[in-house]
Amino acid sequence: MASFTPYAYIQCPCVDSVPGSRSPDGASTPTSHSSPEDDERDFDPRSPRSNYSLYPIEYMLYCEDCHTVRCERCVTEEVVTLYCPSCLFEVGNSSVKTEGNRCTRSCFQCPICIGPLSVQSLESTPAAPEPSLLSADHATATGPAGPWILCCSYCNWNSSEIGVKFDKPQGIFAQLSKLRSGYDNHHSRYTSSGDGDTYPTKRDADGEPGSTKARFASLKSFYQTQMSNENPNSGLGSTMDYGYGSPGALSRIMSLYSGNTLSSAKPKSKPTIMREADTTKEGLFPAKLDDTSVMSGLRSAGYDGTATRAQVNVQVEEGARFATDLWPIPYVLRTKRTKRCPSCRHILSKPEAKVSNTRWRMRLIAGNYIPSITIKPLIPVGAPGGPTTHLLTPVKPVQYLLTFKNPIFETIKVTLATPAVTPGRFASKVTLLCPQFQIGANSDDYNLDEVLKDRDKDPQRKRSDTTGQQVEAGKEWDSGRNWVSVVVEVVPSSIQIEPKPTILKKLGEVDDLGPLREDEDIVEIPIFVHLEWEASADQVTGKDREDKETKEKKELAYWCALGIGRISPE
Amino acid sequence: MSTNTGPALAHRTVSSIRAAREVSPNSPHTPIRSLSSGQISSPSSLRADDDVLVIELGCRRLRVGFAGDPVPKRIVSFEGKQARRAGDFRAWEAGYEDDWRKRASGQAWGWEQQLWQLDVRGQDLGLVGDKIERGLREALVKYLLIDSKPRKMVLVLPPAIQIPILSSVLDTLFNRFGTPTISLVSSPVMTAFAAGVRSALVVDIGWHETVITAVCEYREVHTWRTIRAGKLLIEKTKNFLVEAIEGRPTPEGEDEQAPDDVVRFEECEEVATRILWCKKAHNPPSQEFPEGLPTLHEQDESEPVDPAEDTTPTRIHLTSCNPPRTLLIPFSRLSEPCETTFFETRYSPACFDDHEFPLHLLVYRSLLQLPLDVRAMCMSRVIFTGGCSAIPGLKGRIFDEVSLLAQERGWDPIRGKGVEAYKKNPKLQRTNTPPKQVNTDGSSTSIPVVAQQQQQQTPTITETTPAGGTTISDTSSPPPTAVINPADVPRQPDQVEDHIRQEKGYKPPIRGILRAIDSMGPWCGASLASQLKIPALAVVEKDLWAQQGVNGASKPSEIDVQAIQKSQRQSMGAGGLMRGSQMSSWTLGVWSTV
Repeated sequence: MASFTPYAYIQCPCVDSVPGSRSPDGASTPTSHSSPEDDERDFDPRSPRSNYSLYPIEYMLYCEDCHTVRCERCVTEEVVTLYCPSCLFEVGNSSVKTEGNRCTRSCFQCPICIGPLSVQSLESTPAAPEPSLLSADHATATGPAGPWILCCSYCNWNSSEIGVKFDKPQGIFAQLSKLRSGYDNHHSRYTSSGDGDTYPTKRDADGEPGSTKARFASLKSFYQTQMSNENPNSGLGSTMDYGYGSPGALSRIMSLYSGNTLSSAKPKSKPTIMREADTTKEGLFPAKLDDTSVMSGLRSAGYDGTATRAQVNVQVEEGARFATDLWPIPYVLRTKRTKRCPSCRHILSKPEAKVSNTRWRMRLIAGNYIPSITIKPLIPVGAPGGPTTHLLTPVKPVQYLLTFKNPIFETIKVTLATPAVTPGRFASKVTLLCPQFQIGANSDDYNLDEVLKDRDKDPQRKRSDTTGQQVEAGKEWDSGRNWVSVVVEVVPSSIQIEPKPTILKKLGEVDDLGPLREDEDIVEIPIFVHLEWEASADQVTGKDREDKETKEKKELAYWCALGIGRISPE
Repeated sequence: MSTNTGPALAHRTVSSIRAAREVSPNSPHTPIRSLSSGQISSPSSLRADDDVLVIELGCRRLRVGFAGDPVPKRIVSFEGKQARRAGDFRAWEAGYEDDWRKRASGQAWGWEQQLWQLDVRGQDLGLVGDKIERGLREALVKYLLIDSKPRKMVLVLPPAIQIPILSSVLDTLFNRFGTPTISLVSSPVMTAFAAGVRSALVVDIGWHETVITAVCEYREVHTWRTIRAGKLLIEKTKNFLVEAIEGRPTPEGEDEQAPDDVVRFEECEEVATRILWCKKAHNPPSQEFPEGLPTLHEQDESEPVDPAEDTTPTRIHLTSCNPPRTLLIPFSRLSEPCETTFFETRYSPACFDDHEFPLHLLVYRSLLQLPLDVRAMCMSRVIFTGGCSAIPGLKGRIFDEVSLLAQERGWDPIRGKGVEAYKKNPKLQRTNTPPKQVNTDGSSTSIPVVAQQQQQQTPTITETTPAGGTTISDTSSPPPTAVINPADVPRQPDQVEDHIRQEKGYKPPIRGILRAIDSMGPWCGASLASQLKIPALAVVEKDLWAQQGVNGASKPSEIDVQAIQKSQRQSMGAGGLMRGSQMSSWTLGVWSTV
């Protein structure tokens, strides 16, 4: 808490472009926005909604054609590559549909600590000091025999704790899923090696109904039969398409073309009501109301023997209760994605398709297009005459330097606007001393001498250590070739929670005397940034005209939230 | 037509072979071939058809997955971490977790973990949309691994969700995800569907409320609610833990709330989901009907001590209290939060308000209020679902209590001393006592056993209902004005029903006995239903929504039922391809009623 790094967040303009939550019964509803001046309301960085639209500039992309910033919410994405993060094996797009979103090789996460699991021979485990290395090296040479297990090197969990051993060290996923389905369905064979060990008999006792997958399949086939029985003519009971293969469908099509209406042509067949599922085979399961076994499990396992919610949440299937119900988690696949602008379909970022390559073919990050904002106190902490702590003293004015740095090769005209007081319960006064300024263009063809000369040329500007310098309203504090610093003065409010004087209250206003909320002691200034610059016109429009003479005026406006510092609690 | 054809060839049909089930008498029709894609249909329709997303909307969780999958790919839960700004990595700082009091202060307890409150007044609905969007986007990107192509969605909604929230959800899905159409399906109906039944009494023990919905023939008939659900349970757990930490005895006024800053919400929930359990009914219902109650086994012989008397201390390690400590709580006491949350048997039923009825009473009452035939169907299809139904023993307890109530009171809504006196008064008794035995010819006398003529035919179900005979039939009929009580008149043979019963393969539905069945849950049901292309209750199209918003939905009274039926019939006839083109009016289904 002692140190506080000032920050600048940008609100993506896409919040306004989407027609916001429509009020359900007209305009005047208390459930949506309470403020009537909906469009003109100031941005409140304290509102819980703002957390969903504020991004650091590093997170944002920029569309060169629409001249606007794009956040992760307002891009469309395409999958380039699917791969397993553990083995870096590339997975085809179609196999994801058939085989699911997890790695189907031997990559597993520990169900206890989500660390990576490695395959080890059960026999070499106690003897060898580095079993994973050994088994890798000597797999061909000596060939450590026998059942294999998955082992976590972080928490020392291994799969034999839940009674899972493997015959082969390869293709663990297939072996495990076979084990698991067999375990759920028959609960007879527990290990693939088939040695009937004494594993926890919990599930064997209560006769767990088939796995969800099996139940789903049986119910589905039941409904399909029923639906095809119900109207054999329509053939709509199939899962796919419209069953053109059935004669009923054919006759229906024929009747369509011959002009007879269906109902008159056909004798009315008696509608058969689709019946309910009746047996377990059809997917009807009586509820398992007797939880005696679970309770005895709870009593013997205790609190620590149950799975934590975090562990349950990362499991593939729901319903684990005890630590012994937890199965190794196959790694979820990851994607590399291309991002496009939703309006003009231009690519904003495109990674290399190869899994091992971490570069980008194309990446238009917003930091290269819009000015970055850095914040620092005018008088640094610890300097003579400066503050002694990082905390802001209430009611004592403090000045901060906002430095805007221009990354593009055009001059940008910047207009800033801010509410006079910050929103929220503790309203600090904010004064922007220079709300309008121009930042010079960036250029890449300068040499160091020139830059140095620039600085020396204007000794007036050297204010590095002069603290007595008067801050002037309406003037930039300092500026360089492509950057400008302006001063903002903040009078932090006191964060004492006390009722407002009655004289200042509006009618019907109620004091919020709740305790200090999280981050409420941070002075966070909403600033509306408006940028104007001239850019060379788009290639499409300018192709007939001579060269790059055509310039177009561009503008971009967005809200920023600047975190200045924490107010000391006095 | 199909059933009348002789079953001689049934074993030869490919479908029956493939299905490998007991052969229901099918007509030998061509098996429906699932067309491989790309053969006939145009590619555009195929594109639209692939991967329908099924989203189950809950107050704490969002289940997301593809239609046709047995389990959702991702269960999104809403946590404080989710509400952080992008690039806010404070959650990984050391000591962040210990600082929870500061973060939680000034907010309602467990505020950030839920998507919406019951009271939508003054709630920021945009925030609901934002939360859903972030959660859903994460699920789609990280777990479903799909691109942001617009996809059709199926939205599973709880009954009577608030329209502002529904509007906000639909806004988010349409505007942020560009979905072309969203089908709305009802959660209890899908629960019944996923259990394989057409009617059910769905007891959804959820977060804010326990919602009991009677579903009859895939229609919601009635809904009852009580606040005795997850939220209350967590609060009671908190009180319980705070008492244990501070070591003070149970306060008498149990409405007194423990302070919020002793134990963290997450930890209370952790305790509640992991170790809490539910006691058995005090006097378990007599073993009259083993078929109806498959649960009441005498398994307790194997147990050394009944769990209710088990005083072995259970160690619960709490880290969020100050200082962290390990509580030693007798195992028997761990059922207390459940007891006070869901049952509250200490008090008489008269002292509960309508919104806080104990669960077992509410289940019984809801069955009681149902029409006779619906009750007969529903009582043998009780489905427990929802997050809290996973608490060990809870389902069994509710079921036992309900069957006890049914045993004691029958299905008579009139109770009290007056009725008792009336019943006992010999002067008012009828002279002719009705036959108490069920006749062998299938006719029966008493009200709740409407279904017993069918039961007689089913060899598996031999038991009569608990409420059979005496109590009901005495009171439900008017005082004997005539010599012959109309209730005692044997039933006229019903030709239609006889005809149905003679049909091949007819199996009477099980009715009139209390029975609980298991469902795979609403998400599974919706996934199954949309894979089988069962039309949804309401379909909202993007363009219409963008034009009209929630106010454009037709009210139920305005709907021209005939026109809809006509359009549906057409759509069935003409191959369903014309569907949607003529839907100028649309509804929000059952959710549009305020």
